[in-house]
Amino acid sequence: MINVPSPGIALAVTVAILLTSLVLFWPARGWLWNLRSRWRTSERVLIEDALKGIFHKEYARQTTSVQSLAGHLSISANQSAELLTRLEALRLVTREGDSVRLSASGRRRALRVVRVHRLWESFLARETGVHASQWHEDAERREHSLIGDDVDALASRLGNPVFDPHGDPIPTAEGELPPRPGIPLLDLSPHEAAVVVHVEDEPEALYRQLLAADLTPGVQIDGVVVSPTRVSFRADGRQCELTPLCAASVSVQSQTHHCGPVDTPQTLADLKVGELASVVRIGPSCRGLERRRLMDLGIVPETPVCMEMRSAAGDPVAYRIRGSLIALRANLARHVHVLRTVEPPQ
Amino acid sequence: MTTTATCEICPLHTRQRDLVVALAGNPNTGKSTVFNRLTGLHQHTGNWPGKTVTRAEGSFSHGGHPFRLVDLPGTYSLLSTSSDEEVARDFILFGQPDVTLIVVDATRLERNLNLVLQILEITDRAVVCLNLMDEARRHGLEIDARGLARKLGVPVVATSARDGEGLAALTSTLHEVASSSVAQNRFRLPDTEPGLDAAVTTLRDGIETLFPGIPNARWVALRLLDQDQRMIDAVRSGELGDLFESTLTQTPTEADRHSLLETAAELRWKVGDLFHDLLMETLYGAAARIADAVVKTRGPGPRFDLDRRLDRLLTNRWTGFPIMLLLLAGVLWLTVEGANVPSRLLAGLLLDTIHPALKTLALELAIPWWLDGVLIDGMYLALAWVVSVMLPPMAIFFPLFTLLEDFGYLPRVAFNLDSLFRRAGAHGKQALTMSMGFGCNAAGVIAARVIDSPRERLIAMLTNNFALCNGRWPTQILLATIFIGALVPDEFAGFAAATAVLVVAVIGIILTFLLSWILSNTVLRGEASAFSLELPPYRPPRFWQTVYTSFIDRTLFVLWRAALFAAPAGVLIWASATQVWQRR
Repeated sequence: MINVPSPGIALAVTVAILLTSLVLFWPARGWLWNLRSRWRTSERVLIEDALKGIFHKEYARQTTSVQSLAGHLSISANQSAELLTRLEALRLVTREGDSVRLSASGRRRALRVVRVHRLWESFLARETGVHASQWHEDAERREHSLIGDDVDALASRLGNPVFDPHGDPIPTAEGELPPRPGIPLLDLSPHEAAVVVHVEDEPEALYRQLLAADLTPGVQIDGVVVSPTRVSFRADGRQCELTPLCAASVSVQSQTHHCGPVDTPQTLADLKVGELASVVRIGPSCRGLERRRLMDLGIVPETPVCMEMRSAAGDPVAYRIRGSLIALRANLARHVHVLRTVEPPQ
Repeated sequence: MTTTATCEICPLHTRQRDLVVALAGNPNTGKSTVFNRLTGLHQHTGNWPGKTVTRAEGSFSHGGHPFRLVDLPGTYSLLSTSSDEEVARDFILFGQPDVTLIVVDATRLERNLNLVLQILEITDRAVVCLNLMDEARRHGLEIDARGLARKLGVPVVATSARDGEGLAALTSTLHEVASSSVAQNRFRLPDTEPGLDAAVTTLRDGIETLFPGIPNARWVALRLLDQDQRMIDAVRSGELGDLFESTLTQTPTEADRHSLLETAAELRWKVGDLFHDLLMETLYGAAARIADAVVKTRGPGPRFDLDRRLDRLLTNRWTGFPIMLLLLAGVLWLTVEGANVPSRLLAGLLLDTIHPALKTLALELAIPWWLDGVLIDGMYLALAWVVSVMLPPMAIFFPLFTLLEDFGYLPRVAFNLDSLFRRAGAHGKQALTMSMGFGCNAAGVIAARVIDSPRERLIAMLTNNFALCNGRWPTQILLATIFIGALVPDEFAGFAAATAVLVVAVIGIILTFLLSWILSNTVLRGEASAFSLELPPYRPPRFWQTVYTSFIDRTLFVLWRAALFAAPAGVLIWASATQVWQRR
């Protein structure tokens, strides 16, 4: 007879062994798996990031060298040279003297990563409440993990958007990408009216300033005055000032038909009980599903609206729109620009 | 209860001779009432938007001809990408109904016309049902149905489905349109902005060349510009050509179809993201012009003032919450108190009278002990308990709840509670599903489909079980009487027990908010998304009809579900309590 330990201890030991092995070897979650996938992805992530970096440079008609790639990826020059050699071996890039160019397959792969990145940013902007300053960072992580059909499923769920929330065109599944539209904000003359079409989201410090000024694609700009230290202009009727460095991140497209100056920006959320107003437009930072819902409810330019009542807690407010009573939260209502009217229109 | 949900988009044409009618309309326009009136089915109708999500079918006949009526989900539009709208759109286009019946709310014609105009872009085989005419009259609105028909180019029938008014005319009009092959001269959208229009025209011409005789080229062009995947597939596979009688003898080649799609993709970069906005503006502009021409207002009627006054009272900062709590407490009190007596009667009947009788019968028939045990002591007893405990509270709670719902009070509850839910990162309509959960969690979880955003819908479903469902009330009361009631003098025992149960219910509500908050800050991260809620006008509920339908639809439905689980569970409990293997 072997000396059998008491059942309690035997049970505890078995459970402990089981748990440990679970933690170590659990498929797709366990420690072993994690270690392996981290090693694998870091390799893939580096390659994809490099391709993307080269692509962005090419898109901006600049060339990439060993040094500039090292700076872009925050790695040493040695590592960068090694990485480029690998890319060359994989036939993803070709070297011409000092500079590097994407090969056809490298370009395809880069476009795929860019597509995922921009789609994911669109997703965050439209369907989640994640703050704008976090879109880019989050998308940087996601762009490597989303593949194949999942990407197309994401695109079709978003209604196949053409532009991401910063105004960058989203490459199609076939890998088409048109040139970015627009001219720099700094090139506008004081009398020209324009609409923001693109806002650069890197570096983050500058992007945060643009966010603070509420500059997103779709905002109307006029009265641009450029001095060496300051750029001042009106955005949707608000007076804004930026440093020239910051303003350089904004591209605009001049407008042939000016929608008229938005002098006093009022929104649905500013109305008091019983006040009548007429919708001017839905603000550009309201996108995707939210925007479509508002329009489905009949909120389009020139729609007469009456602020009917507040809810008991004050926040959702009920508006009479095209004959029905619609409750909207303040964070949605403040996207709807209106003009107060005295008499009910018509 | 023969309502069945089947394949969402299969054409129904295979069943010969049945004329297929698709039933479309905005949410909360009485669409389900029309459906029930025409088919005699009792699909539950409630006064809050979004009741019908899956496709329901029913049939009726007119002039000896069988009709099949397909109830599509209520939508405001067919241009967004929600699953409801896809179901509705796909059926109207690919399901090839003989006629599409569009139910519109006469009191909000302008808004409803948006959907009508969109459907008319797809098909000319349509009939507009101008419903809720009684309400329009009460609100002092006069609507020129003939003028509307002239403007739209399709028949318009004024009805008041709740009273059955105008339904005979509706069926005969449906029959006429469905069986005639004459194309109607329906309303077409005016041209939009120049930039957009050029793109649409280019694409439309391309489509008309490829598919000559197509009745809705312009609409297909719009969908392609919106890169609607379903439509792209239909063009790519040539399926689009099968949907109408082509005037061309040969089908377009694959290369032609491919180049059409490429043109669409190129144009898409040009029109950009503003495309949708422009289209909606055009649609609403046209809707407003039509509505202006056919609706006359005699000033706000007395009903309108009453609605307003009621709203002021029910959503007021000082009175809104107390009234809500009082109503909730009242409903729960009525349920608990009212269920006591019938519960005891049922238990007496099922457990103390029928059970011994069955036992005696089994003895006389001399059936084996184990069969007797499984059937009578296991299955029957479990069922008897479930019925006697669950049936009475449900039969009281659901009709009361449905009365409040039909009256239009529930959306006001969501309106009032929304700011609390917003802070917890959830959706205001979760108030509806939570209060539904007090009746039955299964019903509450099902009701969560009225929430658009998947994130918030999931939160509503996951936290629904914290709403103390009335199946659990009796147990709660029993436990409270034993543990809490025993601590106080006899005369206060009932009161103390009731308070204890109420405290448990309130803890459940607090937990709902707490868990919603935790979920929305951890696994289901993201701020609360777009919230819009329609507050429908108050409608006097029809008492007996409500009682009847809610009993049939909700009570019996839930009870049946419960019984399905209780019967096998009873067998298991009996087996585990009987030491079957040692008895022999």
